[in-house]
Amino acid sequence: MEHDDSGHHGHLQLEYQPSLPMSNGKTIVWLFLSTEIMFFAGLIGTYIVLRFGAPPGTWPTPAQVHLSEPIGAFNTFVLICSSVTIVLCLESIRAHKPSVAKIWLWLTFLLGAVFLGIKMYEYQQKFAHGIYPAKPHSLIYERANLDYAAAVRLPLKAKWDKLSKLSAEDAGLNDVQRADLQLYNKLLNGVVGWAEYQAADPTLSTGDRQIALMRLAEYVSGPRHAGKHHGHNDEHDKPFEEQLHNEKVQLSKVETDLEQQQQQLLEERKLLENAEDPLRLAVVVDQLNLVGADLKRVVDRLDGIDLVSELDHSVNHDFGLHLPMVLPSGNMWASTYFLMTGFHAIHVLVGLIVFLIAMPRHLGPKWAGFVENTGLYWHFVDLVWIFLFPLLYLF
Amino acid sequence: MTLEDHQHGSHGSDHGHGGIGKYIVVFVMLCILTSASFFTYSSYWPFQDTPSVGWAFMMAVSCTKALLVMLFFMHLLWEANWKYVLTFPAAMMSVFLVLMLVPDVGKRTRHYSEQRWSQSAEPVSDAAHDDDDESQHDDSHDNHSDKEQ
Repeated sequence: MEHDDSGHHGHLQLEYQPSLPMSNGKTIVWLFLSTEIMFFAGLIGTYIVLRFGAPPGTWPTPAQVHLSEPIGAFNTFVLICSSVTIVLCLESIRAHKPSVAKIWLWLTFLLGAVFLGIKMYEYQQKFAHGIYPAKPHSLIYERANLDYAAAVRLPLKAKWDKLSKLSAEDAGLNDVQRADLQLYNKLLNGVVGWAEYQAADPTLSTGDRQIALMRLAEYVSGPRHAGKHHGHNDEHDKPFEEQLHNEKVQLSKVETDLEQQQQQLLEERKLLENAEDPLRLAVVVDQLNLVGADLKRVVDRLDGIDLVSELDHSVNHDFGLHLPMVLPSGNMWASTYFLMTGFHAIHVLVGLIVFLIAMPRHLGPKWAGFVENTGLYWHFVDLVWIFLFPLLYLF
Repeated sequence: MTLEDHQHGSHGSDHGHGGIGKYIVVFVMLCILTSASFFTYSSYWPFQDTPSVGWAFMMAVSCTKALLVMLFFMHLLWEANWKYVLTFPAAMMSVFLVLMLVPDVGKRTRHYSEQRWSQSAEPVSDAAHDDDDESQHDDSHDNHSDKEQ
């Protein structure tokens, strides 16, 4: 840290200035900007570290979180244009063209407002898909486990309860409600319930139990876009459909088996009822109950398979439901995304407010300092976005 | 080169460094650079399989854009030496900050316990469609425990 400037600089004729060779306002704006550099460096640095330090292979791709790269690129273009217009405004003021300067200033304001409008649209898209930075609203789950399955079941069960209560009342259900009730029933028993049952089935391997839950997640919120680009679902879907088909064939066999068993047990019960053997009868009734439960589960699952194999995209998408989704590291993504873009948007908003001060005025030469300082701030806001755009949309 | 031409052209600015032409040139360059980083998103980008190439490219492009904005729009090119005092320490601290976060935050998963892993995000994979999923899963877990040692 020590500077070796004690001895041999003595011959220099140093000229001391009482302050920096510029206006106090500009000095202060630059000091402010250097703290702003560190502020955003903190946010961006944290993002970089969290993004690359996330469990390997988990950070959501832009497609998974409904980020549109072209929209982001357009917003970048808008901000760059606004940077040019504000610098041209300053030039016009210096060239003593206040009316031209005013046009440039208004244009800058307009471009900033367009940026914020697009940002609002983007936020709205995130919210519509249940992507929020924190839990009460966020539908993001880190992994497909039993907690996740329960989180899917609870809202479905609530809807189902409501409709079945209605159906018990005198007025009954209309056609839409009846279809909904049927849908919830299929989802609850044939999709969620089946996944939970499989996940708890001790006869299955750990992997198979996990797969049951992962497939539930896929049905609910759609095939995961593992790649960067869209439109690669064709080869992705093939094994998916094949698997469903295999499962259906297998379960249909189980169904006929169970039906035969049930038939046999029913006959046996009839015989035993006549023979008056209460002990044996109790055993058969027990077995009959078990087989009946198994059969119901299989029949429900077959309904569930029919439901999910006819899905265009996902349960959420096709039926307009807002069920929780599995998005590995999605919560961290949402936190960093909203924090960074939110602080940037606040800066844009502040810039717009400052522009509003100058916009109705006559932009004579004495406004040059004001516009220069505001412009410095505005360029900085542009600069931050220059880094945010590739980091958030393209990485 | 073109920039210097414009600078000498001196479009009537009384400060000696203005000039609308220069700003337009910078603007065009910024647009070109933006489309250059956007190009990594398109399917023509040749390094699809190695994302790190794209990342490095985009960061280089972003730094270039930031430099252009600071030098020309923020007039740093023509400012006195105070510019180094205000910008360099802040820039250095930004880099240090990232480096300092790496051991505690960036490498945190290397010290996750089994219990922590059971709650953490799991990799996105197409494994759910494969029959040999179980072995893949065990592999990934083994990797994590290897890192811990």
